Amino acid sequence: MNLKQFCEVAMRRILTVSGFTTSIVILLIITFLFAEAAGLFRNKVVEEGYTLAVNRENPVENLSAEQIKLIFDEEITNWKQIGGIDCPIATFRLEQLTELYTEEELGENYERAGDCIAEQVEGQRGMIAFVPTDLVKDQEGIRLLEERNIKAGDVLLGDEWFPTATPSPLFGILPLVSGTLWVTFFAILIALPFGLAVAIYLSEVADERIRQVLKPVIELLNGIPSVVLGFFGLAVVVPFLQQTFDLPVGETGLAGSLILALMALPTIITVGEDAMRSCPVTMREASLALGASRWQTIYKVVVPYSISGITSGVVLGIGRAVGETMAVLMVTGNAAVMPHSILEPLRTIPATIAAELGEAPAGGAHYQSLFLLGVILFFITFFINLCVEYISSRNKR
Amino acid sequence: MNKHIRMKRPQTNPFLCVLLALFAVAPSLSAQRIKGSDTVLPLTQEAGEAFLKIHPRASLTVTGGGSGVGLSALVEGVTDIAMASRKIKFGEQMKLKRAGQEVKEVIVAYDALAVIVNPGNPVSRLTRAQLEAIFRGKITNWKQVGGEDRKIVVYSRETSSGTYEFFKESVLGNKNYMSSILSMPATGAIIQSVRQTPGAIGYVGLAYLNPHVKALSVAYEGGGFYAPTVTNSMNGKYPIVRPLYYYYNVKDEALVRPFIDYLLSPAGQKLVRDGGFVPLK
Amino acid sequence: MQRFSPRAPQPATTMNTPQYPSAYASKKKRTEQIVFFLFRLLSGAVALSLLGILGFIIVKGFSVLSWDFLTLPPTDGMTSGGILPAIVGTLCLMAGSACFAFPIGIMSGIYMNEYARKGKLVRFIRMMTNNLAGIPSIVFGLFGMALFVNYLSFGDSILAGSLTLGLLALPIVIRTTEEALKDIPDAYREGSLALGATKAQTIWHVILPMAMPRVITGLILSLGRVSGETAPILFTCAAYFLPKLPESLFDQCMALPYHLYVVSTSGTDLEAQQPIAYGTALVLIIIVLLINLLANSLRKYFSNKIKTK
Repeated sequence: MNLKQFCEVAMRRILTVSGFTTSIVILLIITFLFAEAAGLFRNKVVEEGYTLAVNRENPVENLSAEQIKLIFDEEITNWKQIGGIDCPIATFRLEQLTELYTEEELGENYERAGDCIAEQVEGQRGMIAFVPTDLVKDQEGIRLLEERNIKAGDVLLGDEWFPTATPSPLFGILPLVSGTLWVTFFAILIALPFGLAVAIYLSEVADERIRQVLKPVIELLNGIPSVVLGFFGLAVVVPFLQQTFDLPVGETGLAGSLILALMALPTIITVGEDAMRSCPVTMREASLALGASRWQTIYKVVVPYSISGITSGVVLGIGRAVGETMAVLMVTGNAAVMPHSILEPLRTIPATIAAELGEAPAGGAHYQSLFLLGVILFFITFFINLCVEYISSRNKR
Repeated sequence: MNKHIRMKRPQTNPFLCVLLALFAVAPSLSAQRIKGSDTVLPLTQEAGEAFLKIHPRASLTVTGGGSGVGLSALVEGVTDIAMASRKIKFGEQMKLKRAGQEVKEVIVAYDALAVIVNPGNPVSRLTRAQLEAIFRGKITNWKQVGGEDRKIVVYSRETSSGTYEFFKESVLGNKNYMSSILSMPATGAIIQSVRQTPGAIGYVGLAYLNPHVKALSVAYEGGGFYAPTVTNSMNGKYPIVRPLYYYYNVKDEALVRPFIDYLLSPAGQKLVRDGGFVPLK
Repeated sequence: MQRFSPRAPQPATTMNTPQYPSAYASKKKRTEQIVFFLFRLLSGAVALSLLGILGFIIVKGFSVLSWDFLTLPPTDGMTSGGILPAIVGTLCLMAGSACFAFPIGIMSGIYMNEYARKGKLVRFIRMMTNNLAGIPSIVFGLFGMALFVNYLSFGDSILAGSLTLGLLALPIVIRTTEEALKDIPDAYREGSLALGATKAQTIWHVILPMAMPRVITGLILSLGRVSGETAPILFTCAAYFLPKLPESLFDQCMALPYHLYVVSTSGTDLEAQQPIAYGTALVLIIIVLLINLLANSLRKYFSNKIKTK
């Protein structure tokens, strides 16, 4: 009897613990993603271990990441363009050192490299040098620019994604976020009419035999791995779009949307159909008895009755589309620009993570920025799930 | 009810047996794990295949992921050799130092980057300055460089790949690409896209060239136009050439050296050449 | 149709017609015909596009399938040979994630339906489970890399990959278990308790065996999901080339979806890899198909059994 009680208690304990697994996992996900992502804002604007040095006579205090990029891309060529003195900008990178000095002048282990850099920077009033901090921190004749941390505003509202640009990478996530939303929006726009039509057809129109065939087919569509769909998209959809619309390039947002629509369809159909089937027969009969046709019954009675179920199906479909990775990576072209048209290449958050995490040095700013993207993706889907929760709880009332 | 209980048992038991059989073996000791750059991957994979034929008892895992993944795996101790298509970065070196590890660098081959266009494109040669302008978005139509009136579609590798960075250093003079560039997750995808797209331009390793795309001759400042071939790359005429590296922990020397030695041997370097890469000598 | 069928579908229209022989009735009917025709058309389009995809891959991949393709490792730089390591790797990952997700998922489902007091707590747990189900697979990949690969230093391994995939399958298992348990009438529980069985005994001997058919169906479907995922194993497990079969939990392995991604986008000779890609896609689809068929037939088998009893 005692043993029995012990078993009872033990079982209850174990089950309770496992009951909380999902909550714990979510907490862990949040912790780990946040821990990495938050590190991004502790990074300096300039690449780790490096600094920007200018001539002592140059009054410039600090530069934003974007200004630094434009200067080193030679888009800004005079200090007065960014509010400084009227003097042309000359850029200097470490690699130029070996072109200007012989190995003897630099020293065997580059111990005199710092002096050489200082000599260069002192010699030219408009020069800005991008060099390792260790080499120049003790130099007298030059001034190191004040180092700013990466600002949250620049990341969240920035519209340029250059995660590996030197001297200062740009982590503007706006093109990626809008690319994701853009592709998803069009995917749902395509999937919605099809999804609703099939759901209504399955639940209201089709006879049992057709249903028996169509239903497993839809379930199967749900089971097709996304890589297979991506592969299909790459081999068939992309060339097809290019020829049909006579585009310069076939890898476009539309290709991604089409594939995503295929993936969101089963969710919309299954959930929508379930919702409509739960509409009581009595309501339909009442409508029919009043002389309404079947179609009138569907759109005046059945659809309004099950609208919250249908909506949550659609929202779940959106969730599926937002997070889809591999298929989108293979067909959208991944150009990190603000999307203007669906017929242009664009880039989504999941594709960015999948494509770049592999090459980003672990623990660096780029790596952390990808975790930040993960956090944002997590919150987008979290929000979508809350919407579903809200809609379906309204349904119960 | 009883029926169900009896039914349940055979359902779980064979399943568990299979699982145990799959997992109950200890890790093998002489396994070498090689990980890193996708550019070096095909080369390592072929060399690995050949190496395993000579040493059937050895075990070899080759994994891609990228130069960054390979090097950070080396720091974490989860790989024995890191393949890289770029030199180890300052930050990564600092991390290794902090972890108290000393790594050795070996150049195993060279890789030439070929600039490719659609075979239907009449343009067959470009200067470095023209390439820079195209990849930075200053030239947007083929007629500006003597071709047809067609929009240029620029393909590139992922922002963080070693290939991307090398091309940026060598051709763009370290300036950034335009932001509307199409970045493909792998070189194969660039080939595929350039083949399908009339106005496309992209860059790929020499090894990837195939008859469905056209490689351009390239001239750097003051030099003549040279086609990307192994010979032109070996004698230094073709300008866009970079070394490919292996990094390994000094303490693992005994473990990894046989494979590296094999790759550096004449037989290995023949594989390098056959694979479309540029051998060391 | 069957919604309306046995009772009164026909009268609705036949009764209308004589009463309103007007343009309104015929217009109504025409609208209905047009709309239903549209529905049929769209449904047909969806079914066709799916069959198109399947057909495309089957036609292109069928010629590649052979005994050698299934039983040899890839050779000659992935341009010939087979995909055995990828098949075995995928099976390992499925088994590994099942080991993790099944017990925990089933226990969690039992807890939520049988033990937890109904109210805020269960609602909270259910919300968390639904949220977990909605998290994109790439986020699981990030998390798996941060936790299992780096923090717990499992490295890239079957263990890390299985755990990551297990997390992905967990909500599906929990949901199906919970729903299966919910459908069992309380009378059985009360009956068992009245006979003096403890709660644990009731669950173990009465409730679980009854719910098992549906639970197993759910488990199989979750395996189907796991077998096709690429993003979670991208940074936790998948190997580009590993001709040997995995020997321990800490080995990496090849996997079918990743292999398909690799052969269709990288490698030096895409032309020669195309057939391999189609073949891999076909094998992957066949596995998913088999899993779905298995789940469906199990569902039918069990429901027939219950009916005949």
